[in-house]
Amino acid sequence: METDTPAIIFDHVSVTRSGLNILDEVNATVPKGSCTVLIGPNGAGKTTLLLALLGEVHYRGRITLSGGRGLRIGYVPQKLNLDRGMPFTVAEFLAMGVQKRPLWLGISRAAREQALALLEQVHAAHLIKRRVGTLSGGEMQRVLLALALQQKPELLVLDEPSAGVDFEGGRLFCELLDDLRRTRKFTQIMVSHDLGMVAHHATCVICLKRRVVAQGAPRDVLTGKVLQALFGMHMGLICAQDHTHAMPGTARQNKGEHHHA
Amino acid sequence: MPDLSWLFSLASHFPLDGMDMRFMQQALVALVLLAPMTAALGVQVVHYRMAFFSDAVGHSAFAGVAIGLVLGVDPHLSMPLFGLAVGLLIMFMQRFSALPSDTVIGVVFSAVVAGGLAVVSRNNTIARDLQQFLYGDILTMTETDIVWLCGLFLLFVLFEFLAFNRLLYAGTSGIIARAHRVPVAFFEYLFSALLALVVMFSVWGVGVLLVTAMLTVPAASARNFARTAGGMFWWAIVVGTSSAVAGLALSVQPWMGTATGATIILVSCFWFLMSVVAASVRNERQF
Repeated sequence: METDTPAIIFDHVSVTRSGLNILDEVNATVPKGSCTVLIGPNGAGKTTLLLALLGEVHYRGRITLSGGRGLRIGYVPQKLNLDRGMPFTVAEFLAMGVQKRPLWLGISRAAREQALALLEQVHAAHLIKRRVGTLSGGEMQRVLLALALQQKPELLVLDEPSAGVDFEGGRLFCELLDDLRRTRKFTQIMVSHDLGMVAHHATCVICLKRRVVAQGAPRDVLTGKVLQALFGMHMGLICAQDHTHAMPGTARQNKGEHHHA
Repeated sequence: MPDLSWLFSLASHFPLDGMDMRFMQQALVALVLLAPMTAALGVQVVHYRMAFFSDAVGHSAFAGVAIGLVLGVDPHLSMPLFGLAVGLLIMFMQRFSALPSDTVIGVVFSAVVAGGLAVVSRNNTIARDLQQFLYGDILTMTETDIVWLCGLFLLFVLFEFLAFNRLLYAGTSGIIARAHRVPVAFFEYLFSALLALVVMFSVWGVGVLLVTAMLTVPAASARNFARTAGGMFWWAIVVGTSSAVAGLALSVQPWMGTATGATIILVSCFWFLMSVVAASVRNERQF
């Protein structure tokens, strides 16, 4: 499980777009084998940090991956901008990444069996014959997770996987991820808005508001003070009443980066 | 130059009046080579939302010919090469510009059309060829064109064999594909280059105005008929090729006497209507 060895080190990572600082000198460490969750208000740069990690946006500073750029990464986006009427089955969706033979010559038995095995792992074997465009938000998420697992990832990157999924669906998805992480021993980094989920499933939290406001274990970081700094007064009031998620006074705050309180 | 007379003698057996004439044999062979290519690439054009890209490349045909004539290069060479350059330029600009992709295409589109017209306005002898580019004429395909088309067809088969799955991956989501170590840029450049060349050959056949229809109508019909991505590939080829052959056969009938390119597109639009009916019967959304 989680070790002290870092899987990812963000070293003074900054992203500027049209003169606006989206990320400003982000310093953070993601422990190997952890479930690290990025939290922060809208526009805090959470998705941008993931995209920088994937090499999709230009950044200054350094992102060090243990295992280098050859590290096997699985990526699950928030949603897929897909033509919903396109004839494209879940079996084909999973076979396109592994099958050498073009899909217009059909799906090989090996690719179909592998697709089914992956779907079984995400409890979605019944979806194999469905069209990708007809899947619900929660079903699509499982299929996208299966596609990411096909990479045998050492690092699994998820952008708000519980967006557009009901509460129960989100909880089951997180439990599934916990199980998979234990058996497959990958490092998981994800963005989430659901603080209840973060408190329950995260092993490490990075609070982001263009800069890192705080980072560490959830019980150390999810304090009223940090959440107020992160989300403003409104959130502070809620957290002051909810002591299960807010345990004041124990946060390890990054010096000099706590300027929004 | 490879001898294609066996191909033309094969075409002469096609049960249609006038097939004993060489230009008809050449037209049929050209269409049977071109139509499956446009149809199958159309599947990817629809998936990638690249109809506007193909339109821009098609519209560069006239500038390609004009530049060829000015520089003293054979238009049959300068046109496809110029189209290829325009296609690759658009891809390059899309990758490295912050502008939205359709704005990039719009700018290049305007530049090539204006460039073509500027050259033509200085040199009136080219102006009379303008009509051929607008409407196309498959009956004027030369034997050399068809040799090139055969080469392009072989490339196309090889490409679809090696790149179909990867392009599907990249078209689904470039970010996922790149994270999962698919060389997206390589396949996208290769696809744009092939598409640009096929579009330029199609301009000879059906003209600038209808070239996008050759790509999109069979693919749109196939989207309604097929249930799988692999099936869509085959349905597009069936719709595209049968429309091309039927369009040629109909257009040369004395009672029709219509332009071949336009007739081909009308037949494929009829296919599309049937596909809408088929999809309605299955209770799916058709448009």
